[in-house]
Amino acid sequence: MIDVYLVDDDPDVLASLKWMLEGLGIRAQGFASAQDFLAAVDFSRPAVAVLDVQMPDMDGMSLLEVLFSRPSPIVPLMLTGHGNISMAVKAIQQGAMDFIEKPVDGDKLLALLRRAATLATERAISLQQSAEIQQRLDSLSPRETDVMHRVLEGKLNKTIAAELFITQRTVEIHRRNLLEKMAASNVAELAFVLSKLRLPR
Amino acid sequence: MSQAWRLLLMLALLPVATAFAGVSAGKETQGQQEVRIGILTFAERSDTLNTWQATADYLARQTGHRIRIEPLTPSELDKQVEAKAVDFIISNQFVAVGYKKEWGASQLLTLIPADGRDPARAMGSALVVRAGVSVTRWQQLAELNIVSTDPRAFGGFLIFAGEMVRRGLDPVTDLPGLTFEGFPQTKLLQKLWRQEADMAILPACVLEQAIARGEYPEGAFDIALARTTPGFACGVSSELYPYTALSKLGHTKSALATEVAGALLTMDANTAAAISGGYRGWSVPVNDNRVFALKHTLREWPFQTNWQRVASAAMPWFGAILLCLLLGYLHHLRIKRLVVKRTRALETEIEQHRETQRAFNEQQRQFYRAQRVLLTGEMASGISHELKQPLAGIRYLAQGCLYRLKDHEPELKSALCGVLTQVDRAQETIGRLRSFCQQPSRSVPYRVDTLIEETLALISPELKRLKLEPSLALAEVEARLDPGLMTQVLVNVLLNALDAMAGQPTPWLGISLETTDSGYLIRVSDNGCGLTEAQLSRLFFPFESAKADGLGLGMVICKRIVEEHGGKISAHNRFDYTSIDGQIGGQIDASIDSSPCGLEISIEMPRGAAND
Repeated sequence: MIDVYLVDDDPDVLASLKWMLEGLGIRAQGFASAQDFLAAVDFSRPAVAVLDVQMPDMDGMSLLEVLFSRPSPIVPLMLTGHGNISMAVKAIQQGAMDFIEKPVDGDKLLALLRRAATLATERAISLQQSAEIQQRLDSLSPRETDVMHRVLEGKLNKTIAAELFITQRTVEIHRRNLLEKMAASNVAELAFVLSKLRLPR
Repeated sequence: MSQAWRLLLMLALLPVATAFAGVSAGKETQGQQEVRIGILTFAERSDTLNTWQATADYLARQTGHRIRIEPLTPSELDKQVEAKAVDFIISNQFVAVGYKKEWGASQLLTLIPADGRDPARAMGSALVVRAGVSVTRWQQLAELNIVSTDPRAFGGFLIFAGEMVRRGLDPVTDLPGLTFEGFPQTKLLQKLWRQEADMAILPACVLEQAIARGEYPEGAFDIALARTTPGFACGVSSELYPYTALSKLGHTKSALATEVAGALLTMDANTAAAISGGYRGWSVPVNDNRVFALKHTLREWPFQTNWQRVASAAMPWFGAILLCLLLGYLHHLRIKRLVVKRTRALETEIEQHRETQRAFNEQQRQFYRAQRVLLTGEMASGISHELKQPLAGIRYLAQGCLYRLKDHEPELKSALCGVLTQVDRAQETIGRLRSFCQQPSRSVPYRVDTLIEETLALISPELKRLKLEPSLALAEVEARLDPGLMTQVLVNVLLNALDAMAGQPTPWLGISLETTDSGYLIRVSDNGCGLTEAQLSRLFFPFESAKADGLGLGMVICKRIVEEHGGKISAHNRFDYTSIDGQIGGQIDASIDSSPCGLEISIEMPRGAAND
C-alpha cells in the first residue's frame, strides 16, 4: 500500500481515523492543517490524501488548488461534514477522486483507498513516462525535431528533404536516429509514445 | 274792528306791502319757492285736504310762495321728515315733540280750537260710558270691553295711556278687553250706543260735539273717572295738554319760517280759511313741557317705541354689523376651507408616511424573519457540524475496534455494530435537521447597487444613531442573485462594521461596488477596532465571536450564502495611515504600523448565479 495522508483540523477525529485505518492495516500520516501537509509532503511521490473540507485558514478546496498547481501523482479524497452538490462538482473538477460525507464507513473508505492507490500508481507511472518521453524529446537535435514533426504529419522522405533543403539520405539518417532516441521501432509507435505526453488529470 | 276800518287799513298798507314784497322778492335769491307742509292725519286724506286747503291758499296769497299740503299717516310723516321732503308739519303736540330731538323740529305756533278753549289746555282724554255705568277705580277698566281709535291717537289713547302708566298700570296688558277700531271717532259712540262696548276712549269734547249735532240725546252717556277742570267746558278723565302745533323742521330756513308764521298770525276767527279749517287762528307756541313729561312717561312703556325709526336709525349700524359678520363669516369659511384642505393634505401625508413606515416595518420584519430562519439553519448546521466531529470520532474508533477484534468475539462485534448503527442514526437525524432548516436560494436578475442602497435604508435607524453617512462608490451592476439572502449578507457585514466602530468618535464607513473580469466586487470598510490575527483566521467559523454577546453565526451565514452564489468572501485588517490633511493614504507595510485601523470585507461574486 502506498502512502496515505490524512488532513483534519480536529485532532481527535484525525487520531481516531488514523486508528481505524491502522486496524485495516493501513499506516496513515496525519496533519492538523493544510500548511503542515504542504510543508511536509513530497508531491512527486504517489499517495492518497484524505482532506477535510472545513478547516481554518486554508480549507480543503484551497488546498486542492495548491496541490494541483503543478503535476502530482497524489490522489485526493475529499471528506466533508456537510457538502453541497456545487462544492462536490467543483472538487471533482479540480482533480479530487471522490467527495465523501463524514464519517465515512471503514469498508467504503478502504475500497476507495484501494482505488485511489491504483490511480495514484497509474498517475505516477504516466507522470514518470511522460517525464522520460520529455527527456528523450529534449535529447533530440533541432534538425531531428524538424524531421520528426514532418514525419508525424505523414510526409514522404522526398518532400521533407525538399522542404529542409537536405538530401533524402540525410532525412533517412535523422529518422533512424530519432526513432532510436525516442525508443520507438516505427512511426506509429512514435505517435503512441508522444500521445502519452498529455498530462494525466 | 269793523269791516270798513279794515278795508281802509288794507288800502293804506297795500303800497307798503307791495314795496315789502318787492324788497323781499329782491332779497329772495330764489324768489317764489315751494313750501311743503305735512299734515298728520288719521282719517280720510280728502277730509284733511278739505279742512286745510283754504289755509294753504291763504298762506300762498300772503307769502307769494307755492304751498303744497300733504295729509300723511304717522308712518308716512316719519318717512317724509326723514327724507326732508317737508318743511313744516301740522300735527298733535306729541308728534311735534317727538321730532324735536331727532330732526330739530321747533314749534312755531299753536292752533286755537274753534270753541275758544285755551290752546295750552285743549286736549284731554275722555272715558265715555253709557249713562248709569259706574266706574270708580282705574283698576276696574280691566274688566271692560273698551274701544279706541288708534294707539297713536294723541287726544284719545296716548293721553289715557299716560294716565294708566302714572298709576302703575300697563295700557295694553292690563286691558285685555281693549280693541282699536280706527276712525272716525263717532264710530266708537255708535258701538257704545249699540252696547257692543262698555267704554270708549275719545278725545275730550268729541262727545259734547256729537250731542250738540243732535246725534245722541243729552244724558245718554257719561264720562267715567271724570276730573274737575275749571275753565274747560267738556268732560275729561285726564290731564289737559296743548292743542295742535305748527312746527318747522331743522333744515327749514328761519327766514321762511318767519314768513309763514307771520302770515298765519294775521289770521283770526273770522278769516275764511280758519272757518273752513274749524279753528280760530294761531297763537304763539304754548308751553309743551307736559307733553314732554307724557312722552317721557310713555317712553318706558314699550308700546310707544317707534320701532321703525329706531330700525331706520340703526340701519347703517345694523348694516355695518351685518357686513362685519358677513366678512367674518366669509373669513371663517375661508379659514375653515384652508383648515380642511391642510388637514386633508396632512392626512394624506400622514397616511403616506404611515404607508412608508408600514412598508419599512414589513421589510424589516421579513428581514428579521429571514435572519431567524437563517440563524436557525446555521445553528442547526453549526451544531450538526460540531456533533458530527465527535460522532465521526466514535464511529472511526468503533470500527477500528471491529477491525481489531478476533472472529471469536461475536457479542462484542455485534455490540460494536450496534454502535455504528446508532451513530449513523444520529448522523441521519442531524442531516435531516440541517436540510429542513436550509433555505433554497432563488436567483433573479437584480441591480446590485440598488440592493446596497435598499440595505442601507434597512439599517438607517442604526446609521442615524451613530450620525454616520456612509461614503459610497457604487458602479451600476446587474447580476443574478437571491436578493433576500444577499441582503442578509450585507446587513450582517454592515452591522458588524457598525459594532466595531461603537467606540469610534469619528466613525467612517466606506462601501464600494466595482465590476471585475468574472463578475463584481463589493468592499465594505470601516475604521473600527479591527480583528486580531486569531480572530481573523476563525472569522467564518460557527460559534466563534469577537463580540461578548455574539452568537458567532453571522459571518458563517454570509460565507455560506456567498459560496452558494458561487462567490468568495474574505476579510483583512486595514493598515492605513491618515495624513495630516485627513486624506486616507494608500496601503503601507503592516510592520510599520502593526495596529489595525479597521476591517475590510471583500465579497467577490460571479455575474451569473453558480447554481440555479
